[in-house]
Amino acid sequence: MTAMGDDNPREIELDLRGQICPSTLLRALKEMNCRRQELKDGRVKLVIKTNNRDSTTTIPDTAVNMGYEASVAKEGDYYRIVVEGAGDGAGRGA
Amino acid sequence: MNYSFLMIVSLALGLATGFIMHRSDFCMAGMFRDFFLFREKFMLRMLALAAVASMALFEAAREAGLLPYPFPLFASPSLANLVGGAFFGVGMVLAGGCVAGTLYKMGSGSLLSAIAFVGLVTGSALYAEIHPWWEGFVRATTFFTGKVTIPQMIGIGPAPVAMTVVAGGVLLFRRWGRGGKMERRSRAEGYLQPWKAALLLALIGLLSVLITGMPLGITTAYAKMGACLENALFPAHLAGLAYFQTIPLDYTSPLGNTRLVGGPGCRFDAVAAVQFPLVFGIVAGGTLSSLLLGEFRVYFRIPTRQCLSALAGGTIMGMAARMAPACNVWHLLGGLPILAGQSVLFLAGLFAGAWLGGRILVKWVARY
Repeated sequence: MTAMGDDNPREIELDLRGQICPSTLLRALKEMNCRRQELKDGRVKLVIKTNNRDSTTTIPDTAVNMGYEASVAKEGDYYRIVVEGAGDGAGRGA
Repeated sequence: MNYSFLMIVSLALGLATGFIMHRSDFCMAGMFRDFFLFREKFMLRMLALAAVASMALFEAAREAGLLPYPFPLFASPSLANLVGGAFFGVGMVLAGGCVAGTLYKMGSGSLLSAIAFVGLVTGSALYAEIHPWWEGFVRATTFFTGKVTIPQMIGIGPAPVAMTVVAGGVLLFRRWGRGGKMERRSRAEGYLQPWKAALLLALIGLLSVLITGMPLGITTAYAKMGACLENALFPAHLAGLAYFQTIPLDYTSPLGNTRLVGGPGCRFDAVAAVQFPLVFGIVAGGTLSSLLLGEFRVYFRIPTRQCLSALAGGTIMGMAARMAPACNVWHLLGGLPILAGQSVLFLAGLFAGAWLGGRILVKWVARY
């Protein structure tokens, strides 16, 4: 497998603010599953915008369980969750 | 009759409930839905904690002679509780929140919850159309007539049953606590650990019972809103609906010795005095919490499919809350802790409904 990724992976932004629960997690799961290789290779990273407070726990926990890295930052009135491939393949929390 | 004291108390309890639920994501619809969709059990543990803590508090208050037992408005179980619970489960999942979740989420700016709220009022009013027929079903399927709680059905006092369940619960929660299963790390600002929320909600339930004589309940207020709306639009039709003439509540509160009389009709009575401030309080609690966090914001760009789901879910839930009768908060944090047969059946129905609601949600609403 090609270990190396781009220094600046392509961002795939999912703006799920205001949407019904648990569509944020379902949508994130879909992307994490479909883009598994691209995420692991560091070619893309997912940027999820949500105002669902619960997603700040469920998405990072799920991402880490799947072997990705996840981080959460509050941006004004919503949260920005970034999911990307963990360099060594082992998941680390935010 | 002076209801002002009751109204102030209900408002305060509602504010606290909305605030606590918003901070801890105490979304009961999510607890059941995620158990089926993601095999996530964490929040169901928190609900169990709230129910067992309520059981301990109610039983202590009953022993002290401060509690009416069983609570007013609870009746003998019937199949209606099971069927109503199942419809309620489907509705709450499609609506994205239960009757209380819809309120605190609407308070924090959720447009979908506001749509679900419209559905709740509509569904509660629609129930009046099928009330005579549904009453027949309730009467035909009632069993253990004259008995309300499981201890009454098996002919023993409530104390030994409650003590056994609470003791078992304490052991289980301690075990889960040692295994790190009672807390979770959240990245949300101002997060309140749900176990704390569960204990606080049990305390709020106790205050409600001590002061108003009833556990927290809000759904008759939805029927009242529906009745008032219908009164404005179709007064002649409303006058012919038997459901809105019923006065199910007639009872003297333990504190203050106030006689509480009321029902779903469009008038100011004890149900209005207790439930309207509670409904308003839960919405305002969600607003206050989100404003303090700088998270209050209304987003309008929502897929049509989700809006329709919220409306349909709210309507189904509103109707089911009258069929069951009553909502999840009333049954799970009020009836279940005294082991009311109605509430046990409602819970069984709720699981089945939440499963079905989850299937519909994944297949039709949040389809990716």
